[in-house]
Amino acid sequence: MHELSLAHDMTRIIGNVLGRKVPLDRVNVTIGPLSGISPESLKFCFTEIAKMEGFGEPELVINLTEAKLICLECGTEYQARDFYQGCPECGSISRKILSGREFTVDSVEIDEGEN
Amino acid sequence: MCDDASEKIVNIATPVMNKNDRFAAENRKLLGEKGIYTLNLISSPGAGKTTVLESMARFFGQRMAVIEGDVQTRRDAERIEKAGCQAWQIETGGACHLDAHAVKHALDHMDLSSEELELLAIENVGNLICPSGYDLGEDMRIGLLSVPEGDDKILKYPSLFSTINVLLINKMDLIPHLDFDVDITIKECRSLSPDVEVFTVSARTGEGMEEFCEFVESSFS
Ligand SMILES: Nc1nc2c(ncn2[C@@H]2O[C@H](COP(=O)(O)OP(=O)(O)OP(=O)(O)O)[C@@H](O)[C@H]2O)c(=O)[nH]1
Ligand SMILES: [Mg+2]
Ligand SMILES: [Zn+2]
Repeated sequence: MHELSLAHDMTRIIGNVLGRKVPLDRVNVTIGPLSGISPESLKFCFTEIAKMEGFGEPELVINLTEAKLICLECGTEYQARDFYQGCPECGSISRKILSGREFTVDSVEIDEGEN
Repeated sequence: MCDDASEKIVNIATPVMNKNDRFAAENRKLLGEKGIYTLNLISSPGAGKTTVLESMARFFGQRMAVIEGDVQTRRDAERIEKAGCQAWQIETGGACHLDAHAVKHALDHMDLSSEELELLAIENVGNLICPSGYDLGEDMRIGLLSVPEGDDKILKYPSLFSTINVLLINKMDLIPHLDFDVDITIKECRSLSPDVEVFTVSARTGEGMEEFCEFVESSFS
């Protein structure tokens, strides 16, 4: 995926909400397992971009959610960590995706030395 | 945004794709108002997107306009213009995907006033991964897979193939030389996109292209 441009988008969003650039301790994000984003790659890119953009060296804390799916064979609603997990009841991989593509910046923790 | 000056945790609660999705909604609104139906064509490099669009240009003529997304050069736009359609080239200058903002800019420059115009096809940058997360404001997302790429690609790139409305299997003229299994490909694609419509075509020979074009036409008329 294009984790570099996503990291840029993240610093833009954080800068807009904070209204200024300050060193951060932590940045908390939520990523759905079907978003196509590689957590490792995002961490790597974000560390670089955050420093470049004047946000210090925050730790990126990723809350990886489970996807919600509904089986089109038997109607069971189930959770999965990837695209390959079939229905736990009937084994079918025919299903509809209810959620699992989310990617949000939840919150940031400002480096206390700055306050 | 801090209510309390000593508060060090600041709530952000913002989807990262917000900005793109806002532009996508604007594009969708603008195109909808003009009565233009929009396609987003996604495939790996060289799967045949431009060749498919050349064939569609011969079917739709001036009723279709094309936005070409490439990292560099105007080559694909020139091919489309030769085939008889208005074409606008976006050179992303390195970016591996189009986003809705780039498409909005293209729309600002294009002439969309013609009464005849009813279809806009956007050729995304050749890439099976990055374009999948970016809504451009399209009505129909088409994933194009060419048979020389192999029949294992659907499950290897689920973040794309789970978002498509139409799967176009291209270069069918080459199938006698390959061990590509069309049935497995369709089955795997349906497991990711249950309602996907599938067409097998050869943009080179034209096989299946008329049926596909008629399907696209029936989606907006
Ligand atoms: N045999 C065969 N060749 C095809 C077919 N469709 C396209 N090609 C060839 O495949 C090559 C790539 O085709 P393009 O249409 O340029 O592919 P593209 O997806 O637009 O490529 P990029 O824009 O670079 O990502 C060209 O040499 C085409 O002539 C087909 O149906 N059969
Ligand atoms: Mg092309
Ligand atoms: Zn089931």
